[in-house]
Amino acid sequence: MGEVMLSVEALDVTFRRGGDTVRAVRGVGFDVARGESFGIVGESGSGKSTVLRAICGLAPTSGGTIRLKGQPLPDPRPATFFRAVQMVFQDPYASLHPRHTVDRVLSEPLAIHGFDRREERIEGALRDVGLGPSFRFRYPHQLSGGQRQRVAVARALILEPEVLLLDEPTSALDASIQAEVLNLLDRLRAERGLTYVMVSHDLAVVAHMCDRLIVMQHGAAVEELTRAALSAHRAATDYTKKLLSASEGFTPA
Amino acid sequence: MTTLLTVEDLRVTFPTRQGPSEVVRGVGFTLGRERLGIVGESGSGKSQTGRAILGLTPPPGKATAKVLDFDGIDLRAASAATWRRLRGARMSMVMQDPKFSLNPVMTIGKQLMEALKFGAGETRAQARARALAMLEAVQIRDPERVFRAYPHELSGGMGQRAMIAMMLVTEPDLLIADEPTSALDVTVQVEVLRILDRLVRERGMGLIFISHDLRLVSSFCDRVLVMYAGRVVEELKAADLGKAQHPYTRGLMNCLPKIEGGVRPLPTLERDAAWAR
Repeated sequence: MGEVMLSVEALDVTFRRGGDTVRAVRGVGFDVARGESFGIVGESGSGKSTVLRAICGLAPTSGGTIRLKGQPLPDPRPATFFRAVQMVFQDPYASLHPRHTVDRVLSEPLAIHGFDRREERIEGALRDVGLGPSFRFRYPHQLSGGQRQRVAVARALILEPEVLLLDEPTSALDASIQAEVLNLLDRLRAERGLTYVMVSHDLAVVAHMCDRLIVMQHGAAVEELTRAALSAHRAATDYTKKLLSASEGFTPA
Repeated sequence: MTTLLTVEDLRVTFPTRQGPSEVVRGVGFTLGRERLGIVGESGSGKSQTGRAILGLTPPPGKATAKVLDFDGIDLRAASAATWRRLRGARMSMVMQDPKFSLNPVMTIGKQLMEALKFGAGETRAQARARALAMLEAVQIRDPERVFRAYPHELSGGMGQRAMIAMMLVTEPDLLIADEPTSALDVTVQVEVLRILDRLVRERGMGLIFISHDLRLVSSFCDRVLVMYAGRVVEELKAADLGKAQHPYTRGLMNCLPKIEGGVRPLPTLERDAAWAR
């Protein structure tokens, strides 16, 4: 493996509410190399999204360390962290402010991080995700789901991050639109040498996008696989085998 | 095969500021005691087709058809009393998300019993026993607990199974399932499909399975209608989906990523304005 970009070691996330404690993530660890695309697969409640949120500092970590380029991350995360790491959320219908235009969505991160040449950058970001300048002054309700997700990707990329955390980026989209967004993400990664950590419940999407992946169940990583192993259906654990066969569609009992 | 449902030239129209907008434009098919899949993308009119069959087109929308016949009953002219006798008892619908379609302030048991209330002169105890048996039939392990539970106390998969139980407890002849498994995990999805499959085979129920997931539909249904912009663009046997003729169907099949690896970039769907005509 080349230079390790992001490393997660024995991560624990515990939510406490009243007398209840929920251990959402239990001792998950993985390394992601620069330029690699890493996948996290699991069913709802397996803690896969919580791992991403913990990396961003959006979930309470109760144990373990997260390092970016070898440096442990302080809490709360500094502004430089968000320059390097950005996240794209699942539902473009919920993650864009309904009363902000595309222009405002894209210019806010630029203002926060004190970027220059904002005009140019906004137009460039829209072009990169395949939207023309005519989209710049539209509101989210004037965009289709796929266009919204493109805006969300543009928002994440406008800070020129090195790592993109993708939380089910296409699960709210139609199959044909999903293909377009996946192609876009693939192309951007190749062009810019981005590092991806992608969470999905869809094995086929992860097999298409990611070089390596872990399978999570009940907050723990049960198996680590390469794309080749997944494609050849070489799974070691029963749970992964079950996921694989369920992804094939319906089979009479 | 006996024909259960005949639909001919079904149209659903919604008034908009720009004039009436037709979202279902002349859909026709017949259904026997089989599993019919309707696939299409969002906005293709597949859900509105399902709702129109049950007379549930939301106002101000209007549904019209040349023929809409369910087991000899003309649904176009059905009175409110006829609908009451049919809906629930003989034809019912499973919606996509149990979170939004179960009553949050009623226990599952109460909702199940309500479905049975219009049944033929049963005692409460008999109805209760039937409700519990149905919960068991949809693979709920602890039916007594679920019977007493409120919807928020159940997981998504359990809620969806409870809803399927509610729709099936009256043993309908026709079940319209609108994306019944889209909100569920893949492993739960397979279990829910098994339940539906068994009901079709054992009770001879007719099933209309509405979904955006072409791969799932092709593995589960007997026949598939592919809808685009309110029309049926192709009808074929599910097993022959690989031999689909229409470029839209083929495009939908090809743009899905595959676990076994495939081409990259993924082929995208080039839409042709002529398909909508």
